Amino acid sequence: MDTQQEPRKTFVVPIGPQHPALKEPGHFEITVDGEIVTAATVRLGYVHRGIEKGVEGQNWAQAMYMLERICGICSHVHATAYALGVEALAGVQVPPRAQAIRVLVAELERVHSHLLWLGVAAHEGGFDTLFMYSWRDRELIMDVLEGLTGNRVNYSCNVLGGVKFDVDQKQSDAIRSAIDFLEPRTHHYLKIVTTDETLIGRTRNVGTLTAEEAERLGAVGPTARASGVARDIRVDSPYAGYPSFPVKTITAAAGDLEAKFIVRLEELFESYRVIREILDNLPPGDLSVRVKPRLPAGETVSRVEAPRGELLYYLRSAGGPNPDRVKVRTPSLCNWGTVLATAAGHKLADVPMLIAGIDPCFSCNDRLVTIRRRGDAETWTWARLRQYGIEYYR
Amino acid sequence: MRIGAMLGDISRSLFKRPVTELYPFERRPTPERLRGHLTFEASRCTGCKICVRDCPAAAIEIVTVDKATKRFVMRFHRARCTYCAQCVVSCNFDALGMSHECWELAALSQDPFRVSLGRPEDIEAMAAGGPAPSAPPAPAVA
Amino acid sequence: MNIELPPLVALLLFPGGLFILFSSTVYEWADRKLVAQFQNRIGPRLIQPVADVVKLLAKEEIVPDGVNPVLFHALPVVALVGTLTAALYVPMAGLKPSYSFTGDLVVTLYLLSLMTLSMGLAGANTIDRFSLIGATRALTQLFSYEAPFLLALLGPAIIAGSWQIAEVDQFARGHWWIVATQPIGFVVAVVGLMGKLELPPFDSPEAETEIVAGPMTEYSGRGWALFRIGRDIELLVGLTLMASFFLGGIANPIEFLLKTGGLLLVTAGLQSLFCRLRIDQTVGLWWRIGILLAVAQLFLLVFLR
Repeated sequence: MDTQQEPRKTFVVPIGPQHPALKEPGHFEITVDGEIVTAATVRLGYVHRGIEKGVEGQNWAQAMYMLERICGICSHVHATAYALGVEALAGVQVPPRAQAIRVLVAELERVHSHLLWLGVAAHEGGFDTLFMYSWRDRELIMDVLEGLTGNRVNYSCNVLGGVKFDVDQKQSDAIRSAIDFLEPRTHHYLKIVTTDETLIGRTRNVGTLTAEEAERLGAVGPTARASGVARDIRVDSPYAGYPSFPVKTITAAAGDLEAKFIVRLEELFESYRVIREILDNLPPGDLSVRVKPRLPAGETVSRVEAPRGELLYYLRSAGGPNPDRVKVRTPSLCNWGTVLATAAGHKLADVPMLIAGIDPCFSCNDRLVTIRRRGDAETWTWARLRQYGIEYYR
Repeated sequence: MRIGAMLGDISRSLFKRPVTELYPFERRPTPERLRGHLTFEASRCTGCKICVRDCPAAAIEIVTVDKATKRFVMRFHRARCTYCAQCVVSCNFDALGMSHECWELAALSQDPFRVSLGRPEDIEAMAAGGPAPSAPPAPAVA
Repeated sequence: MNIELPPLVALLLFPGGLFILFSSTVYEWADRKLVAQFQNRIGPRLIQPVADVVKLLAKEEIVPDGVNPVLFHALPVVALVGTLTAALYVPMAGLKPSYSFTGDLVVTLYLLSLMTLSMGLAGANTIDRFSLIGATRALTQLFSYEAPFLLALLGPAIIAGSWQIAEVDQFARGHWWIVATQPIGFVVAVVGLMGKLELPPFDSPEAETEIVAGPMTEYSGRGWALFRIGRDIELLVGLTLMASFFLGGIANPIEFLLKTGGLLLVTAGLQSLFCRLRIDQTVGLWWRIGILLAVAQLFLLVFLR
């Protein structure tokens, strides 16, 4: 044994599964040397609920509500993606008023999600005051959504073929006054984020992700846009009402945490603009169109832009009343690689902010992922999946 | 270079009332569209059971007291309901709605969670030994 | 005020002992309530800190694996004892300090640091990784703010010509408020006090979102209660010292309440304004700016007398 070169003792700090930094369970093993991080690994799967299997036992109308509850903050976009897929399979044309209302609620949800993220990221950095104020302002959007849809979270605004409710004058006024209050507040938060010295010290040049790295790791959503990668499904392949109410892609070049703050806050301005535009130009018409209980056989992919990035739904119908296969690919799953790649070299104190920087939604992303480099597709049957699970935990 | 960018906010807040709502001592009026407890208009129900079929949580059972005279009772499992309003939309006869006043539904035992909705005479007739309810069995992890 | 109380009363009841234990909880409540008000929310009720302590004393204390049990149980007691003893030398509640001798400024500061030291040792005493990192950070922070803080407090001592807190207090009462003549020293002292008490933005030894509770992670029940009480008393003693030195001495209980209350308002405001500093940023701040300011203040004093 060579005693002259002893291996360095590694010191592993476990962040999770239970940790005040994480809102949901996930396991990070951060190897530190003093205060500097040398390596990071992640293990997910603590919030796996078997939803994809569960919806196979329900009919097409019921499945939407289960899929809506994959995530609390992006529940509407999950339901929208699913509804768009079902409508594509059924071959129905959703009335334009319903599509516009879907976009309205989606943008309101984006506002709510980004304000929530602002608070959470500030809290991870120890800036509780910004956390309290941004969540206080978020309450306005929650109240508006409650008045519009009937619930603060899990809006259930979609039905297969359209939406459930209409936007009348009273709702429109409530939304407008909330947005009028929030817009100067958002300017104020943007100013705080870009000028407050202590916050800049924690976010500028921390977790810098270059555009090449973002492309290589497959980052999506504001995480990628903060590195200059202009990837936004609302612009690249518009869906629902977006062809009539286009949005602009917001990017930033720096790729660090500050850029992520800036991108998300500036997206809020875009959302406010689109919401006002929709309220001014709501197309007349029906709210929904009838979709038969049994869909014709086929498969379809629908992609939407969740507040965290690209959300992908694959639906397959065998011609019956139940879905044959629903596969969900959520944006947070793509962004984990960026955290692990950028963590090395930073201080331990930066790690919670790095994790919060991609706006992780652990509930969304607990799926089985197999990365194959060869490129030939493979189909796993349920028996094989079950066997894999048994061996994994042995 | 600014230190204390939130100084304006915190100095103003020193003299304002806190924004916290003192529930349950202060209650704000709920919005009209709030999806609360289910309401059932028995006179409009035709017993088609589309609501039972479409409920994602198996929270509704329709008990047929008398099919010929269209007397139906709804057994509503309040704890299973997800308050999604799919049943309201699915019903072609406008027999269902969601109350916006009855939403404080916590209880200390299971009994208050099983509610029978409908005309009082129908509910009595059902309790007196009507036919068995027809609904999918509760999911394995109710 | 120069009331002479029997020594046993002064030690156990007022203004030592029980009085300190209860008034420190009131100060903790005031601090939390002020921070809440700054954040536009309701804070805790008045009896909340007392309720916390009572609940914690009633809970089971879990001694984790791998610790030295003697140290584990003794350290909270040492911390509390240190701060309680330090309280005897400052003009608590506006009365003359109960036990006063030449050089007690240094002893008081040392006793307050004993609190931080025992927290650091408590963190190093376990095998829990969060505690170890928290202990390192606590001791690093102790290392960085101690020098400027001490130098800043030396300012009034030099002016008053004494190392005894009671005499500095006496001097401060008779002259202009020292904060007007030594503003830089005051700023360094207040910020140093926040570092000593590990209040945000200097709470990185106890950063909840990074290392759970830092050195305190493994403590529960009685030990945790004692540490908490020690922290509150440290707050009270620190505020009293600051008010007595820089804000014109404390002559009677009314002045005591007003001056320490005013300082608490300022510290609560500073707590709400900033993002938490990383430990390397804290060290950088103190060893670059803090010490320069403190030394500059001292030079000004010495040359401009």
